Amino acid sequence: MIKYIAQRVLALLITLFIILTIAFLVIRLMPGSIYDSNEMLSADMVKILEDKYHLNDPLLVQYRYFLEDILLHWDWGTSVAVQPRVPVWEVLASKIPITLQLNFVSLLISLPIGILAGIFAAIYQNTKVDYTISFFVVVFISVPSFIFATVLQYFLAYKLGWFPIIYNATATGAAKYLSMILPITALSFSPIARVTRYLRGELIENLSSEYMLLARTKGLTRLQATVRHSMRNSFVPLANIIIPMFTNILTGSLVVEQIFSVAGVGGLLVESINSSDHTLTIAILIFYSMISLLTILIVDLSYGIIDPRVRIGGGSNG
Amino acid sequence: MADFKQQIPDQPIRPAREDDFELLQMGVDLKDAKFDTPPIGFFKDAMLRLARNKAAVAALVLILLISFMAIFGPMMTPYTFDQQFVDYLNMPPKIPFLASLGIADGSRVLTNRRVDGLNDTEKYPEGCILEITNEHEVNGVMMADVKVDYYAYTGCEETFWFGSDYLGRDLWARLWRGARVSLFIAIVSVVTNMIIGVVYGSIAGYYGGKVDMVLMRICEIIQSFPRVVVVTLFIMFFGTGIFSIVMSLLISGWIQTARLVRAQFYRFKGREYVLAARTMGVPDRSIIFRHILPNSLGPIITTMMMAVPQAIFTESFLAYIGLGLQAPEPSIGVLLSEGQKVLLNFPYQSLFPGIVISLLMISFNLFGNGLRDAMDPTLRGV
Repeated sequence: MIKYIAQRVLALLITLFIILTIAFLVIRLMPGSIYDSNEMLSADMVKILEDKYHLNDPLLVQYRYFLEDILLHWDWGTSVAVQPRVPVWEVLASKIPITLQLNFVSLLISLPIGILAGIFAAIYQNTKVDYTISFFVVVFISVPSFIFATVLQYFLAYKLGWFPIIYNATATGAAKYLSMILPITALSFSPIARVTRYLRGELIENLSSEYMLLARTKGLTRLQATVRHSMRNSFVPLANIIIPMFTNILTGSLVVEQIFSVAGVGGLLVESINSSDHTLTIAILIFYSMISLLTILIVDLSYGIIDPRVRIGGGSNG
Repeated sequence: MADFKQQIPDQPIRPAREDDFELLQMGVDLKDAKFDTPPIGFFKDAMLRLARNKAAVAALVLILLISFMAIFGPMMTPYTFDQQFVDYLNMPPKIPFLASLGIADGSRVLTNRRVDGLNDTEKYPEGCILEITNEHEVNGVMMADVKVDYYAYTGCEETFWFGSDYLGRDLWARLWRGARVSLFIAIVSVVTNMIIGVVYGSIAGYYGGKVDMVLMRICEIIQSFPRVVVVTLFIMFFGTGIFSIVMSLLISGWIQTARLVRAQFYRFKGREYVLAARTMGVPDRSIIFRHILPNSLGPIITTMMMAVPQAIFTESFLAYIGLGLQAPEPSIGVLLSEGQKVLLNFPYQSLFPGIVISLLMISFNLFGNGLRDAMDPTLRGV
């Protein structure tokens, strides 16, 4: 087990390293100097600044500085445009909590709803209940979250006035949570549908399996057999789709944050790209990569725990 | 067609009766009945099954309809997608045919207008006032909400079917032009992904061993790059535009196809007919592409169909956060994000692109599901 974990962690570090390197190369190979746009600086000043940040050194030397700063000092540089002269890590750290809050809550909400809908659809297979649920599953999976966000914002917030139109960052307590409801709802549709579809498929397969027949022959009622045997078996692999879904929600939340003016990581990324604040962009990209790689790692490890055969195979390269 | 339906009995097979059997002597020449119906191959079979799936057929019709509009829609109006009418900004939609029903009649409600100014024909040209509602008094002045024919009100001679945007551009032309761009990006990226995936997966699956291991490790690493990161890096380096979007879809999009093709190769490469071909000296290239690959055509087509909505989503998603195409080129995502900015005042600007993208995504998903069920009935409903 330890060897398996070590392997997966090593793979994670290698991938992270590759992403870091590519990001570094992309920034440094871009034509022009980052001080080009500033006409206030004389040529001498630009030279001094570039020397200060080692921008005239060979690429490999720059790369060493870049890695050393990050790995040894946890220094991601300072922001140049979005919040000038503030360390990038501080800028990012101030935005992370709200983004994670939105995403976690929407994942937590969608789980029970998705599971319930999935169970209903599977038990009432090929009836009107099933067809209705399946119809909504297709709609929720297909229609992008920003369409839902727009519809919710226009009808619930603007026409009916039930909720604030945009996220209220300054409010505290109930008002704050009230303004979080719409973004969270908009983000939840797709995960709900995914959980439902997956659970329905799993449960239908389990309901028609032979051990169910055995359980019924032993004298269990249909309810008992379903709850004690089928459902248990269907829930186990659910972990493997829930965790990667977090990355999906995070991507969707980029747009939903924009729509509801949530000052989160998504808006920061767009702002940093548009204002060429490259150090900040890199830090955000690494943040996204870390989250996505961590979810992959957790899935791989949970595979190993749930299904011991994976460990012997030495990785999920099936 | 009718004969085919009899081959898949809808009712349970009835028990045999006595007159089903017939007594024969030994010397009689016995033969099976000759099949009168033409043989049904795998693809014909799949198409027949697909045709029975109503949702998939409806989805296909919708896809074809939207594609048709994407090609010919912009030609149906005299306006081009980048033509600006600076006097007629944010005009409401006006569709001549539907106007008599009260939908899309080019009307708009102007709130809080002075009632005594309503007879001023310079401000309100004759016949433009349709309805006066909500009369109330503010500081001794009578105010009211006035529903006007906005085209008559502004003296606009043009007819914008879906209205015009904040720069006075015809939204009908822009919408279908945008649908064209979105579909173009989706098709280019999906086809390229399929080609890369098929070649890569074939090599990994056919040769196996060390080659397979190295190729699959590369896949694993590339697959764990989050899409947001890849897209952002491309946009930073190449700037916004179709090229960056297509390239970022290409980076990791082919991996699914590659894995699928590889799995199919593992299933078929040990079969006797492959061994026979190899014994006869057929080159690897022919074995791969002529003998084994056709077996995986079904799943490949299904995967392609499922990848289209993903590509459309990525494109509009990027446009939405402001990293899409260069102005004035529209795409559905660009229109949505422009509409979002004026959502509360002019919701129709988001409505039409929203409907088109939703229908497109739902149709592709439904059609993909239908194809999958048709190609591989054992997977039905999963």
